[in-house]
This record gives sequence, C-alpha cells and structure tokens, in this order.
Amino acid sequence: MSRYIVKRILQSLLTVVIVVIAVFLLLRLMPTSGYFTRDDYINMTEEMRSAYLRNLGITDPAVIQLQRFFAGVFRGDLGRSITVYPKLPISTILAEKVPYSLWFGLASMFISVTLGFGLGILMARFKDRWPDHLGTAYVVAVRAIPSLIYLFLIQIWVTGIMRWPMVFYEDRPVTWILPVVSLSLTGIAWYGIWLRRFMVDEENRDYIKFARSKGLSQKYIMRHHVLRNAVVPLVQYLPVQLLLTIAGSLIIESIYSIPGMGGLLVYAIKQQDNNLVQVLVLIYAVLGVAGVFVGDLLMAFVDPRIRLAEKKKKKEALRV
Amino acid sequence: MKRVLTFCLMVLAAASLFARGAGETPDQYRTTYATEVKTLNYFLLLDTTALRVAANTMDGLVENDRYGKFVPSLAERWDHNGDFTEWTFYLRPGVKWVDSMGQETAWEVTADDFVEGMRFIAEPKNGIKNVGIIRKVISGLNGYYWDLVDIDDGVDIGKTREEALASFDSSVGVSAPDKYTVKYTLDNPTPYFLSYLVTELFFPLEKEFLDSVGAEDFGTTKEKLIFTGAYYLADWQRDKEIRLAKNEHYWDAGTVNVGEISLQKVADDSIRVQMFQRGEVSATTLQGDQVKALEGTKWAENVFLDEKSSVTYWFAMNYTSDNPEARAFINNVNFRKALYHGIDRAKLLELVNPYEPEALLRNTIIPEDVIFDENGQDYTDYPLLKEVKERRTYDRELAQEYFQKAVDELTDGNGNIKGVSPGTVDMLPIAEIKADGKLPVQILFVHPTDPTKTREALLLQEMLRDTFDGQVELVLGQYVDDKYNDTIKPRRFDLLYDSFSFKYADPMAQLGRLVTDGSVNDGQYSFPEFDKLVEEADGKTSLTDRYEIFSRAERFLIDNAVIIPWQAGGGAYSMDTVVPFSTPRGGFGVTRFKYKGMILQQNPITADQYKMLEKAFRADLAPN
Repeated sequence: MSRYIVKRILQSLLTVVIVVIAVFLLLRLMPTSGYFTRDDYINMTEEMRSAYLRNLGITDPAVIQLQRFFAGVFRGDLGRSITVYPKLPISTILAEKVPYSLWFGLASMFISVTLGFGLGILMARFKDRWPDHLGTAYVVAVRAIPSLIYLFLIQIWVTGIMRWPMVFYEDRPVTWILPVVSLSLTGIAWYGIWLRRFMVDEENRDYIKFARSKGLSQKYIMRHHVLRNAVVPLVQYLPVQLLLTIAGSLIIESIYSIPGMGGLLVYAIKQQDNNLVQVLVLIYAVLGVAGVFVGDLLMAFVDPRIRLAEKKKKKEALRV
Repeated sequence: MKRVLTFCLMVLAAASLFARGAGETPDQYRTTYATEVKTLNYFLLLDTTALRVAANTMDGLVENDRYGKFVPSLAERWDHNGDFTEWTFYLRPGVKWVDSMGQETAWEVTADDFVEGMRFIAEPKNGIKNVGIIRKVISGLNGYYWDLVDIDDGVDIGKTREEALASFDSSVGVSAPDKYTVKYTLDNPTPYFLSYLVTELFFPLEKEFLDSVGAEDFGTTKEKLIFTGAYYLADWQRDKEIRLAKNEHYWDAGTVNVGEISLQKVADDSIRVQMFQRGEVSATTLQGDQVKALEGTKWAENVFLDEKSSVTYWFAMNYTSDNPEARAFINNVNFRKALYHGIDRAKLLELVNPYEPEALLRNTIIPEDVIFDENGQDYTDYPLLKEVKERRTYDRELAQEYFQKAVDELTDGNGNIKGVSPGTVDMLPIAEIKADGKLPVQILFVHPTDPTKTREALLLQEMLRDTFDGQVELVLGQYVDDKYNDTIKPRRFDLLYDSFSFKYADPMAQLGRLVTDGSVNDGQYSFPEFDKLVEEADGKTSLTDRYEIFSRAERFLIDNAVIIPWQAGGGAYSMDTVVPFSTPRGGFGVTRFKYKGMILQQNPITADQYKMLEKAFRADLAPN
C-alpha cells in the first residue's frame, strides 16, 4: 500500500508539473495586445507599449519566466496579478476570495450529500412508486432545465415573497440561504440519482436474493448490504468535490454577488493575467489530483475488498 | 438670482416628495457596478467605477459646478499669461489629506503634491497609460518621458537614469514657486487648459505617503490611499462593495448633502430594475423592452430620458479593405454620401429607444454644449455646423441618386465592378467573402454579439437592401470580445460603428485623432485637405479663429461622409432618486462622476418632475 501511495504521489506531481508547464507555454502564445484595453492601446505609442510589457516581464524568454514562476512558488511568493487586479499580490486575492467559496461550498455540499443520499435511498426503497416518480421528476427538471432559468426565478420570486434582499450581504444571514439552496439543487439531484441507481443494481444481485431467502429483513438488507455497497463508487468523488469547493460557482456567485472564486479563472484567462492563471491552474491541478488520489484511498478504506495495487502484486508473487 | 430661484425650485420639488414619502431625507446613495475595479490608484483609472471613486475621493485644482463652469477647488484662484502658455494656481491653505478612517493626516495639500503627481505619471515604469493625452501639452514632459524609455530600452542618450530623473525639476513644465503656488508651463498656447485639470492626471500626490506604501502597492487597498475629496474610501471589498463616506474635514463640506455612497457589485444588470423597485438601489437605467414592460404600472411615471453625454458614436468605413468590392465603393464619395443619406439612424435607435429615438441622434462629431468660444458661443453653433446639427440626414431618394452616380462611375454598365476580379476574401474568423466583382456590392458589417446589436445589424442589412434595390448586400460578422483587437487592428471589417469619449475642451481632442494616421482613424483614410485644416486650426490661439477653422475641417469630414456620425452616448431611460441637475456637469475628465452637491429624495423622480427641473435648468444655463 505504501509503495502504491508513493508511486501515486510521484505520478500526481508529474501530472501537476506537466499541466502547469503546458498552460504556461500556451499563455505565451497569446498576442500581447491582450494586455491592453482599446483606450490604452490608442493612447500608447509602440515604444510605450513595449516599455509597459517589459515592466510586466512579458518580453523575457518563456523559460526565464517559467523559472521565475517556480522559484517564486517555492519561496511562497505567488507573484502579483497583472491585469485583473493590477499589482495586487495573488496571495491577497486568494485570502479575500477563498473563504466565501469555501464556506458556501461546504454548506451546500453538506446539504447535497445529506439530502441527496436521503433522496436516493427513498427512491430506491420505493422504486416505481410515487416517491420514486417524484424524485425522478425533480432530477429530470434540475438536469433538463437550463440552470440559469430556475436560479433566476428562485432569486426573483423567493426574495420578492420573503422580502429578502436580492443579493448577498455578509452581515445579513437571511441572504445566505438562497445561494446555499441554489448551490445544492444539482448536488442533491446528482447524489440522489446515482445512489438510487447503485442501490437498485445491488438489490438485483444474487447475494441480496440469497439474503432475502435467508429471511433477513428488507430494512436490514438495505442498510447493511445494499447501501454499504452502493455508496462505495460515490465515496470516490467526495474528496475531489470537497477540495474543489474553493473554485466557487460562476453562476451562483454572479447572481447573488458573492465575492468568491467563481469565474476568477475564466476572467483571468480572458484578461490574459498570466500570473493569476498560472497560480489558479496550479492550485486547481494540485487539488484535483489530490482529490482523485484521496478518493481512491477512501474507496479502499470503505470497501475492504479493494486492495489497489498490492493485491495484484501478491497475486503475481503467488504465481511465481 | 435666477440660479437661486432654480435651486429653491429643486429643493421644494424634493421636499414635496419627501412629504409624500414615509421617511426622512435619504443619507445614502446606492448604486451598482458590473465589473470589479482593477485598482484604485487614481492615476491608473481603468474603468468607470474607478473613475467614480476617484472623482469623489480626490479633488484637483479646479472643478466644474452644476452648470459646467470651471470653479475653484483646491486652488482658490488662478491666472495665466497672455498667450495661455503659463498658468499659475494659488492653493487654499490648511487643507489636509484624510485617511481611510476619515481622520485628518499630518500632511497638508501643498504645491509640491501637484509636482509629485506629475513626476509620478511621467515615470514610464508606473505605466500611466493616459499620459499620452498631456505629454505634448506640458513643456518638457514628452522629452523627459522618452529619455527614460530610451534608457530602459538600453539606448545610450548620454545620461544615466538617475541623471534623467534628476532633470525633472529643470526640464518639465511644472513647479512649486512656494508652498501654495503651482505653475504649469505649456508647449503651446492652450486656452482650454482648465479642461485638462479635471482629469485624474492632474491630481495631487503626497510623496511621503507614497514612499511609505511603495509605488507598487499604491491604491491596491483602502489603507494604501489618502484623500482630498468630498468623500473618503471607507470600505473596499473586492467583487462586493465599495463604500465612500463623507469627509467631515472637507474644505467644502457644506455642499456635500449625502453622507454615504455605496457601490455594490451586481454582475447581472437585468436585476437592477427590480432592485430599484424594491428600494435596494437609488438609481437604474432601462432598456427599451424594460420601459415597455413598465407601461401601465405605477412605475411608468418614474421613467425619464437622461441627458446625452459627450461621447459620440459614428460609422467608420475601411478605406483599405481586403474586400475589393467594398474598397472600390468606400473610396467613392458618391457611395459614401449614399450611405450617409440611406441609413435611417433613428430607425436603428428605435430598438433601444422606441419612443424618442431622434433624441439620441448626433449629426456632428464634436458634441454640443461642451465647447464655447470667448463670446459664449457653442462650437457646434458655428454657421457651418449649425446647419449640420439641425438637418435630417435620411433621404431615400437622395441616397438612391448618389448610389446611381457611384454605380455609373464604378461599374461597366453591365453590373461588373471595374478593376475587381472574382476571388475569396479571407477576413476570418469574422467572415469569408466570395467577391464576384459584380453588383450587388458586398460590404462586411461587423457588430457585437449581444441580441440588441444583432437585431440592429439585421435591420441595417434590410434597410440598405431595400433602399438600394438589393444592390448593396451587407454581410454580417460578429466580434466576441474586443472590437479593436478582433476587428479594427487586423482590418477585418468594411463597415462598423465605434464610439469615443471626449478628452478635453477643444475640437482637437477628436478631430486631431481623425487625421491621416490618427489614433481613431479606424478607416485608415487620408484626406490632406482635412489634415491641413486641422493643422491650421491648431496653430490659432484666438478661440473664434480656431473654432471657425475647426468647423470647416469637421464640415469637410461630414460633407464627404468620411465618417458618418450616428448617436450620442448617454440619453438612457432611467429611474432615479437623485434630484436632476444637482450634481456637477461637464463633458471631460472625472466631472460627470462626481456626487458633490447631489440631493436625494425619498421617492423616485417622476418624469414630470424631471421635465420641470430640466426646463428651469436650461433657462438658467442659457446666459452661461
């Protein structure tokens, strides 16, 4: 197991480095005119533009820039934003924004997992009966209707009926409710429908039929056999989803004016803020890779039958 | 006396509405912004929100009053020499900088602060992008700037960077003869110099404070700024809210009627109307369809058409297009005149303003009500322009007549365009045109992707097809993000419209950029006669002579349909709780973003109230 972990860590590091270098080099292929607004471009002569780009460090060879970036990261200096928040340290930007996305994300994930699992169990338990149909209708609605439509309707109608402010205010807890609820809607549907599916699959397996024929109660079978096995594939995704809550939600944060991380990467790319893009890509790559890795470990922990790489090794050893 | 009466009328109008409303006078003005401010370094103003903050937290030497007149601000008075090349400003003593807690600092606003401000913007490393506006105005600034750029580029100019920096005081035309006197020396006679002073480029800078926070961090947080204006920056939470609070130590605190300004980030503009109706913001603008949706509701009486701004939109044509059909026709004056008379501009504006589209039209390049000569005459009322200003340009028959002339001159009589061979014109990713060298002439019109602009483009396409009996075919192309970089710079257009703000109070601000190789000459045309007129006008110091020649130059552009003026900026449908005409008025710099003097009322302004106050204001403005 430890050998497997070391190997996966090394693979993960390699993946992160490759992703960061690829993005870094791709950013250098973008035209430098993207660093200026129209008015800036008009008001500056070619020499002024060159001086401006030189001061940003854009004109240095890509290798030098890359070296500078990694050296900074190892020193704990993430650099400064170029165009999104000019000259502001990126660590300050992250310190301001991450807490919002993180807390909203964690709250919504808690609700999604709790209600989603509840919904899935209910749908599987009452398969082809009205709770299942109702749950399916909810899932289909959430997935089929473009989210912007129902999110806007929720914002306008609910705030109107409840006389709540339309946007988020940190000092007014009532304004926290709708963003969390809105964030949770798709999560509930996702966990609900997948848990239902896995539970229904499990219910049709021979060992469940055998358990039933042995006279075990339906409740006991559902709790100790069906649910435990159905949860395993879902558990794998929990760490990555948990870690990536810091990425925020582009739509919800935009609708409710939450100053989080949602959309920051897209905006930074559009604004050609190379420094910010690199740091965000690095963070998301590390969290994504770490999330998948922890998910694998968690899956092995939840399901003792999964032995990851070691089992294979043992089998090979036995063959010899 | 009339002014006093108008002001009383405004206050009474507001008071009558307070009486109807439930609460007391609002002390907070709440508005929204869509895109986050990049920095609040007031020399680096990059967007209107940053302008709004700078305009209200920083005072310069002079400011505009609510009639647009230049009045004293941090300078109590000023004078200039006979040919307008030396301007001296006398500061009011005892004005202190305040910090982000609203407390007075130990620093007093002195003449040195204005010298330091100029020194800061003259340093290329500080990346002050707007410095180009004044680098040929302030004596020696251009040379000083380029010396530093050359040194940074490794060019040997015979002195070190330190020596170049040390030469600022002796070479650049700004000085502080004493603690309260600032003197500017200019390269050329500049009677309109005061209009430059309301831009951020002439704001003061406290050197000791700058050194304590560092140039790199200046303006990146509220603690890294100090203020001289009517408000101070009390809070700045990125992507959420910017809050300005009244500066109790302000030199003119008695004229500041509203205690707090709150700017909230709301990325989605469409909910702003609902926020206004629920009392969450103090003002909103409305699109044409939103105005229609309010018809028959109690809000309809609160919708009014705001004033036009000094921004002008015009159609630009690509004289060097790769599309040979379009290039042949655009370089023909009769075809351009056919477009000038064939585009029903008011019809296009009905999409944004279905009720009064004509109110948004602008026939001249230079806006009205912003430039006046020694006799108080509006530049656009000079004889050659007055007729243009008042004319109706759309004339279907005349357009057809000009088009026929163009066709006679450019085709062989069988619909073949002379000198044009069939071929494919690559203007990708905007469009690819199969030019067959025959009528109809294909013209690539490029527009933004939003629905209103797309409808506008379709309407224009149909309009030209109909007016010219199918002989002009508009090929529509879209740009996604950046008009200049996607379209104008790579020359991927034949026709588009562009808009430009007005930088200072002289026709040169716009006409000087429209000459051959001018920075807003999108079409890349060259008309030496126009260039000569602009050069001649720029050499005149008498405003009357200057404007007369400029009016000839502008008339040349319009008569030859070199560009086609279309509409004014602003003029949006609005709902507001600000008493109209209570804030400073002006077409340049930061003036239009100032809230000093603003009066708020409890209930939204009604359209009738707006009209009444506008009438009184116009009557009052006339003698000014």
